[in-house]
Amino acid sequence: MQNKNLPNGTRDEFGPQAQIKETIQNKLLSGFKNRGFQKLTTPVIEYSDVFKPLNPDDYRPYQMLDEQGETLVLRPDLTLPVARVMSATGLNLPVKWYYGGDVFRLKKRLSGSYNQLSQAGIEIVGYEGVRAEWECLSVALSECQRLGIPNVTLQLSEAGFVDAVISQLAIPQPTRESLKQALYAKDLSDYNRLCQPLVETEFSEFLREWPWLFGSFDQVMEVVKTLPDNESLKRMIHDLTTTQQFVNNQFPNYRVTVDLSIPSPQVYYTGMVFRGFTEQSADYLFSGGRYDDLLTNFQQVKVPAVGLAFEIDALVQRVPVPESGPQTLIYFDDEQWPQAEQLLHKLGNATLCLTHNFEAAKRLAASTNSKLLDLTKRR
Amino acid sequence: MKPIKIALTKGRTEQQVIPLLEASGIDCSGLRSKGRRLIFDDDPRYEIILVKGPDVLTYLNSGSVQIGIVGSDVLDEQGNRQYAMLNLSVGKCRFVLASTEDFDPQQQRRKIIATKYPNITKRYFQSIGEDVEIIKIEGSVELAPLIGLADAIVDIVETGNTLKENNLHVYAKLQPVNTKLVVNRLALRQSQVPIKSLITSLQTADRQIKQFEMNGEWTR
Repeated sequence: MQNKNLPNGTRDEFGPQAQIKETIQNKLLSGFKNRGFQKLTTPVIEYSDVFKPLNPDDYRPYQMLDEQGETLVLRPDLTLPVARVMSATGLNLPVKWYYGGDVFRLKKRLSGSYNQLSQAGIEIVGYEGVRAEWECLSVALSECQRLGIPNVTLQLSEAGFVDAVISQLAIPQPTRESLKQALYAKDLSDYNRLCQPLVETEFSEFLREWPWLFGSFDQVMEVVKTLPDNESLKRMIHDLTTTQQFVNNQFPNYRVTVDLSIPSPQVYYTGMVFRGFTEQSADYLFSGGRYDDLLTNFQQVKVPAVGLAFEIDALVQRVPVPESGPQTLIYFDDEQWPQAEQLLHKLGNATLCLTHNFEAAKRLAASTNSKLLDLTKRR
Repeated sequence: MKPIKIALTKGRTEQQVIPLLEASGIDCSGLRSKGRRLIFDDDPRYEIILVKGPDVLTYLNSGSVQIGIVGSDVLDEQGNRQYAMLNLSVGKCRFVLASTEDFDPQQQRRKIIATKYPNITKRYFQSIGEDVEIIKIEGSVELAPLIGLADAIVDIVETGNTLKENNLHVYAKLQPVNTKLVVNRLALRQSQVPIKSLITSLQTADRQIKQFEMNGEWTR
């Protein structure tokens, strides 16, 4: 019998933590709605083919079979279902969606990590140009502000940057690939070895710093300046720079950093990528970016799309716990039910005491640290 | 500033890494005379904890520590998603396939291999297109072919002395094992400056130790 045990990687949520989580979810969803986004709800169960583009190491799904023998999964991601909806229903563009729900990813057993994670996010589909990214960033940072999370660092990056630089290096294709892997893994020992043939080239100064090419915007740009001129790089850097200026103007309290040494989060990302974290957080609070290739898993035609997802469980850890005094326990007799109801709504942080006598009510108040309000004395 | 937390693999790795940490200017006096302590903050910039190899990754993945120092054997066996940034020039050894003298690598039946590292063993035999039965052993792996539990073993060899003493022979050399400095991905961004300076001083100390070892041999 396993009727008292939870499966690995799951948990019950109750008490203040569960309430904070619900408050965050409600605030985010109403925030999205108030900006004119439309709600989209997709099923928890989907065909596993929907999630083919995801890296299976990070998104190992719970699997089962349907009655036809097709593989079903509990969704490990919420963005690809949006793409499926877009592609299957032929909606008129542009559209702005918002969603909230849980994703399921099998993590290593007994490692302390959870397999069910709550997310809430937006997708802006059908807008080309950097203004779609800017709306996502406005949502990300204004929601952090509304939730009272200080000291958020916004990290910008660009999915195409690494390939754009590597393709210019005068080394054979297999070496390029190894260099890229060493850069992504930040394996400095291997990276330095692979860079040896390039020390005499115009890239040498840049290559020396590349694995460390993240952090302060200005410092990173100083290093980027040493690169030889290239049109596609120029465009990327221009977008990053104007975005940094946009965020600095709109959200002067949040720090903007840039990272030009990381891989694209998924194959379908095509442009700017952003993530948010605080000094204390063990996980990113939000992440997103431009993925114009998102729909190509489902159809031939490319559609411009930018999205953003909040990690609700990471936010819960960062949102300050509101101070609430003791609850008021309203003791009353049957005839006083209407008055008790009235008082309940007036007081807030109160609850009806359903015991049959005052002695029991007193014991309950003492054991739960509540204030006892005796309505029967008010007759 | 809060200290950087480092999970150090206790035992052999710890002993080999302490001189390197000291050469990088880290106060390891507590580690030198540790008694039963497990947390060391003699150097105010760092908090070093001693844990078993596989636990280094558990602490690192949860973000409880920012840096781990652990053998590549553990990383390869468990699968690593954090940044293995440096190879430290200590603790170098190698995985080998070893067995008794009468072992026939070409034998016409499914081999039974005993090991502490089932994933590494599986990947090796897959790479040479062979399917074997793997038995997981927790220690003294050398016993398995001697007692008849397995046809051969996959294990780490440093000097080869243990194999020799047990009359075991190396039949194939697998991947090398070295000690790695691993950094949590997010922590690298949160503490970029102190981690970069630690890595730079470790790189310098590592080079110096290598040079010293080479010179030592030349002058002998």
